[in-house]
Amino acid sequence: MGTEPANGGYMVAAYVIVTVVVFGYAFSLWRRARRVLKD
Amino acid sequence: MTETIRLAIELAAKDLRVELRSRTALLSAVIFAAIVLVIFNFARDPASVSPRTLAPSVLWVTFTFAAMLTFNRGFMLEKENAAIDGLLLSPMPRAALFLGKYLANLGFVFTVEAVTLPLFVLFFNVGLGGALPALLLVTVLATAGFVAVGTVFSAMAVRTRFADLMLPVLLLPFMVPPIMGAVQVTTRLLAGRPLSEQLGWIRFLGVFDLAFLTLCAMLFPAIFDE
Amino acid sequence: MIPNSATAAATIRRGQVITAVGLVGLVIVIVLAQMFTPVEARQGLAQKIFYVHAPSAWAGLMAFSMVGITGGLYLWLRDPRLDLFAEASAEVGLAFGTIVLTTGPIWGKPIWGTWWTWDARLTLTLFLFFLFVGYMALRGAINDPSERARFSAVVGILGLLLVPFVHLSVYMFRTLHPMPVLLKPSAPSMDPRMLRTLLISIGVFTVLYIGLVTTRYGLGLMQEAKGVADGD
Repeated sequence: MGTEPANGGYMVAAYVIVTVVVFGYAFSLWRRARRVLKD
Repeated sequence: MTETIRLAIELAAKDLRVELRSRTALLSAVIFAAIVLVIFNFARDPASVSPRTLAPSVLWVTFTFAAMLTFNRGFMLEKENAAIDGLLLSPMPRAALFLGKYLANLGFVFTVEAVTLPLFVLFFNVGLGGALPALLLVTVLATAGFVAVGTVFSAMAVRTRFADLMLPVLLLPFMVPPIMGAVQVTTRLLAGRPLSEQLGWIRFLGVFDLAFLTLCAMLFPAIFDE
Repeated sequence: MIPNSATAAATIRRGQVITAVGLVGLVIVIVLAQMFTPVEARQGLAQKIFYVHAPSAWAGLMAFSMVGITGGLYLWLRDPRLDLFAEASAEVGLAFGTIVLTTGPIWGKPIWGTWWTWDARLTLTLFLFFLFVGYMALRGAINDPSERARFSAVVGILGLLLVPFVHLSVYMFRTLHPMPVLLKPSAPSMDPRMLRTLLISIGVFTVLYIGLVTTRYGLGLMQEAKGVADGD
């Protein structure tokens, strides 16, 4: 375990981006849907 | 089939004649090419980067951008004259319309390239050696490919807002494979390698041309139909 | 052929359900990758970026293919719903493309030593991204819906044809210019747990694509339906 390069920060950044983009886009679609389905 | 080709050549000849009279697009493309070559020459540090390394890329970047300057010209003129409606009303087969535009564009770009190449040899002091025929071959192959896509996209771009911006945005991804092949082959040709070593890229360019010429000819009518 | 708001609403709801499943799947993938997949000894934790980076590229390619395919179908069948689907797929593809182009360099820096590598996946995605942007720009610049649909279809189809050529040219370029590597990524002998996580992730991203594109398509349908209803 101790001989690995210490690059966990990169991994965290990448996973954060994926989560933000996917959930963010899904959320923006959900908001558009709510506005449109209300009528 | 022969009728289509004859019509296409007629159309192309008309376009070329019109442009030869005004010469605006051709001149601007040639001047642009000259300026680019001059700037590239002064921009580099002769001690660190040899012209041999930069030369192929500079040549093809110049060809590419000068070519794009000529593309919109053909359709702009006719749009202004509303001549396109005339062409559409005629019983002219759409294949002839594409082929005509394509041949005309090809003629323009070849002309620009023919003027640029000697300037390039002059400014960059590149010895062509016996590479000229091979260089011409690769130039024709690469140009034939991106002019096909350029013909389609300029026909579309001219009917949109921001026509001058739309063409490069759409066209650039399609220019990269043929230009990449062209630069790779040009680099090796200028370094004295024989053409027989580059057959992989030559085949690549050939297949690209065939595939895109076919598809572009098939899709072109979709731009105009009512 | 003109959509009615009932079908549009149903499509939106269906899309939302599928998306929800996909989102749950994404959480599962993240947990799997973090806690139940071994760390690659030489590359460290950064190697795990692969489990989200590669499936995003796959989803982006799927999105792009659908833009081209539905564009072609539109030119053949002239059903405006096909064009609406293409538009939806382009937007979703843009989202996945953004993920690939941001996680790619973040993965590349620790593993390859550079922010950008001209490898096949990144280069292709960059091109697709440019094509998506051009596609959206073109759509924004045309007012007439029929012209917009036709022109978009042409770009979509030509773009689809471009994909194998980009792939091939990158491959041909790379065999002549081998990449300098800091560490060799994805060793041939992949631990079965890593493969399992990767495959599950690909499945999840596929579901996400389907869910998001269905929702977005439904929204487009609804806009059409409402436009027809109000515009009279």
